[in-house]
Amino acid sequence: MTGAALQLRLLWQRNAGLYGLYLLLIALLAVYAWLHPGLLSVAGVARFTQNWFPIAVVALAQTLIMLMGGIDLAIGATVSLGCVLAASWIGDSYGGAALGIALAVGVGAVIGGTVGAIVALLRIPAIVVTLAASFIIGGIALLVMPRPGGHVPAWLSDGLAGETPTALVLLLCLLVAWRILQATPLGQDINAAGNNPHGAFRSGVNVARARIVAYAISGALSAFAGVYVAAQTGSGDPIIGGPFILDSITAAVLGGVGFLGGIGAFRGAIAGSLLLAVMINVMFFLGFPPVAQYIAKGLIIVVAMGLRLLRER
Amino acid sequence: MSAPLLAARGLAKRFFENTVLDGVSIEIRPGRVHALLGENGAGKSTLINLLSGVLRPDAGSIAIDGTEHAALTPALARELGIAVVQQELSLAPNLSVAENIVMGAVPHRGPFTDYTRLAAETGRLCQRLGLDMPLDTPVDRISLGRRQLIEIAKALYRRPRLLILDEPTSSLTGHEVRILFGLLRELQADGVAILYISHRLNEVLELCDWVTVLRDGQRTADQALDGSDPASLVRLMVGREPGDLFPPRPAHNPGETAIAVRGLVAEGISCVDLELRHGEILGIGGLLGQGQEETLRALFGDLQAKAGEIRLAGQVQRHLTPIRAIEAGIVYVPADRKREAVLLPLSIRFNLTLPSLRRLARRGLRRLQDEARTATDAIRDFAIRVADPAQPTLHLSGGNQQKVAIARWLPLGPRILLLDDPTRGVDVETKREIYLRLRQMAADGVAIVLSSSDTLELIHVADRVAVFRGGRVVAHLDRDQLSEEAIVAASLGVEAELAA
Repeated sequence: MTGAALQLRLLWQRNAGLYGLYLLLIALLAVYAWLHPGLLSVAGVARFTQNWFPIAVVALAQTLIMLMGGIDLAIGATVSLGCVLAASWIGDSYGGAALGIALAVGVGAVIGGTVGAIVALLRIPAIVVTLAASFIIGGIALLVMPRPGGHVPAWLSDGLAGETPTALVLLLCLLVAWRILQATPLGQDINAAGNNPHGAFRSGVNVARARIVAYAISGALSAFAGVYVAAQTGSGDPIIGGPFILDSITAAVLGGVGFLGGIGAFRGAIAGSLLLAVMINVMFFLGFPPVAQYIAKGLIIVVAMGLRLLRER
Repeated sequence: MSAPLLAARGLAKRFFENTVLDGVSIEIRPGRVHALLGENGAGKSTLINLLSGVLRPDAGSIAIDGTEHAALTPALARELGIAVVQQELSLAPNLSVAENIVMGAVPHRGPFTDYTRLAAETGRLCQRLGLDMPLDTPVDRISLGRRQLIEIAKALYRRPRLLILDEPTSSLTGHEVRILFGLLRELQADGVAILYISHRLNEVLELCDWVTVLRDGQRTADQALDGSDPASLVRLMVGREPGDLFPPRPAHNPGETAIAVRGLVAEGISCVDLELRHGEILGIGGLLGQGQEETLRALFGDLQAKAGEIRLAGQVQRHLTPIRAIEAGIVYVPADRKREAVLLPLSIRFNLTLPSLRRLARRGLRRLQDEARTATDAIRDFAIRVADPAQPTLHLSGGNQQKVAIARWLPLGPRILLLDDPTRGVDVETKREIYLRLRQMAADGVAIVLSSSDTLELIHVADRVAVFRGGRVVAHLDRDQLSEEAIVAASLGVEAELAA
C-alpha cells in the first residue's frame, strides 16, 4: 500500500458507523427544502448556516474534549466570555476588528490550555475541573460586561452573519484545519492519548502535552463561537452561552463521539450539529410548538444511541 | 564470547514486607536467546520491570554496554535499545494497525506525518510477521493473537538491541508461533539479544540457548540450555519450604456431592468437568488465566454457561445468577477484593452485613441491633482486627480486608464456598488464620473450592487438586499424588515427560 492510499483509507475508515446519520441528514434536508424552497438560494443557505454555525463550532470543541475521555461543562461560559470580549474589544477598523477577534480567541485558547493542564497534570477528572471553570469563566464574563451591551461594527456583522454564506466557508476551513492536524504526529498523539492513555504513555507519547493542546484548541473554538454570536446579535451578552453546553454534548453524541474517549471525529460532530439544526427548522415548518424541540432532542438521542448499540451487537 | 549487552548484579526488590527479588544477577548477550523461567510469583515480572526501568531496584546495579545506570527510566531504557512486549497489551483499539505500530514514534517530514515511510515500514514489518490484513484495519477488529503480533511489530519498529518478550505466544496459533520463531531467529542472527519468558517449556527448549531460573525471588539456575530436559527444569522451579504456615489436615473423608460439573463451556472455559463434595477443600491450580476464575464465576452464576451442565445436589441448574446461587447456599470470594468484593469507603459493619441485609430485616425494615450483633459476631469469629466497626473498610490492612470479604458471607450459612486466590497479597499471620477457618468450615460440612496461584498452598491446604490448562482440567491429583512437581508439570503440560 502506498502512503497516499493508506492516508485515504485511514480517513475513510473513520466514516464507518456514520452512514446512517448521513442518510438521515440527506432525507431531512430534502424535507426541509421541500417545506421551505427559499433554502435553495445563496441567501437561504447563508441564513440556515448562520443558525447552525455556533452549535457546529461548540460541537467541535466538545468533541475534542470527549476524544480525550472528558466532558466540557465550561463551553457555555467560554462562549459567553468570547461574546462579551468581542463586543468590548473589536474596533471599527479592519485592523482593530482582526486584533479584537484574535485576542478573544487567544483568551479562549489560554483558558482551555489552563483547564487542560489542570486535568492532565493534577489528574482531576475533567468534569470537575470544567464545572469549576464554568463558574469562574462565567463570573469573568459578567465582570467584563454586567449587562448586555457593547457593539460589533455593522460591516462585520453583515460580513459574518449577513446575506453571504461566510459561516459555511468558515466551517469548511475548520474541517480542513482538523485534517491538517490529523496529518501531523501531534494529531496522532491526540488520537492515541484518548484511545488508550496508558498504552500511549508506555509507547512514548507525551500524553499530557496532547491533552493540553486538545483543551487549548477546544477553548479557542468555544471563544470563536462567542465572537460569532456577538457578530450575529451585534452586541455582547454575558449569559448567552448557557444552552450551548447541552447542545454541544447532544451534537457530539449524535455524531458518534464516544463518552469513554478515542472514538469520533470532527465530521461526526458537524453532522450531529447539522441534524439538530435541521430538525428544529423542519419542526418549525411542520407547525410544532417551539418547545416541542426539547422533547424531540431527547427522543432522538435515545433512538440514535439505541440503534447504534443494536447494530454493534 | 561477545561482551554482555546488559549485566545486572545482585538485584533486590521488596514490596512492603515481601521480598520479591533477592540478589538476582543476569547477563544478557547479543545474538543469544535467553529464557527466563519460574513459577507464578517467582519474580520474573519484577525482574523485567527492573531491566526496562519501570521499577527501581532496592539494591544491585544494571550496566548496559558496560556503563552502569543508577536511575534507569522507561524512556532511557527505550533510548538504549531495550524494548518490552508485555503480556498486557498497550494498543489503542480504535486506531489502525499502522497507527498503533508507530504510536509514540510517528515518522514525520517537517510538521507532517510521513505517510509514505509509515506505509512502507509498517507494511514491511507486518509482512515479516505474516500479518496480511490491510494496514488501515482498526485493531479492535482483529483477533487477540494478531494483536499480540502487532505488539511485537511495535517493539521491532523501534529497532531494539534487546527485545524482552513476556509470554508472547500465550494467545498465538501454532502457525503464528512458527512465524514468530522464524523472526526471532533472524533477529538473533542480526545480533539482537532476546530475553524470552514463557511457561511453555518445549518452546523454550526449541528456541533458547541459555536459561535463568527463578524461585521465590532467587536464582536457582543460570546455564546453557543444551542437554536440559523439561523435568530437570521443573525441579529447578519448585522446591520451596512450607515452614509451619499450614494447619494439620485431617483424613480426607468427604460427604455427599455438592456440585457436579459436566462439559461446562463458557467464555474462557473450553470444557470443564469437576466434582465437589461436602466437607472437602478442592484446590484449583494452573498458570494464571487458564479458566480458573471463569469456572468459579460460572458456578456462582456470574458467567453464563454456553454448554454443559452444573448440578447442585443432583439438580441441574439453568440460568444460574448470583442471586439464585446465594439462595442455594453458594458464595464467591473474588480475587480482586478491592474492586469486586469489599466496598472500601463504607464501614466495616456495612460490608459485613450487606449480603444478609434482607435476612436481618423484619417487615421490610432494617433491624440495626441485629445488624450490629451480626457484624460483631463476624469480627469475633474471623478474628478481624478492628478498632471500630463503623470505620471505613479502607483503613484495614489487606489481610483484614480479605477477612471481611470472606466473613461477610458467613451470616448466610453458606454450603458451598468458592475462593479465588484468597491469600494473594496477604500477610503470613492472616494466611494461617484463613487456612484454619477454611479447615473448620470444611469440618462443618461446607464444600470449599480454593483456586490459588500458590502451589505450596494447594499442596498443604487442599484435599485434592484440579489443574487447569487452556480452559480445561488437565489433571486431577488426589492427596497422595500432590507435589509441587506434579502440579507445575501438569500446568506446563509436561507430565508425560515426568512420568517417563
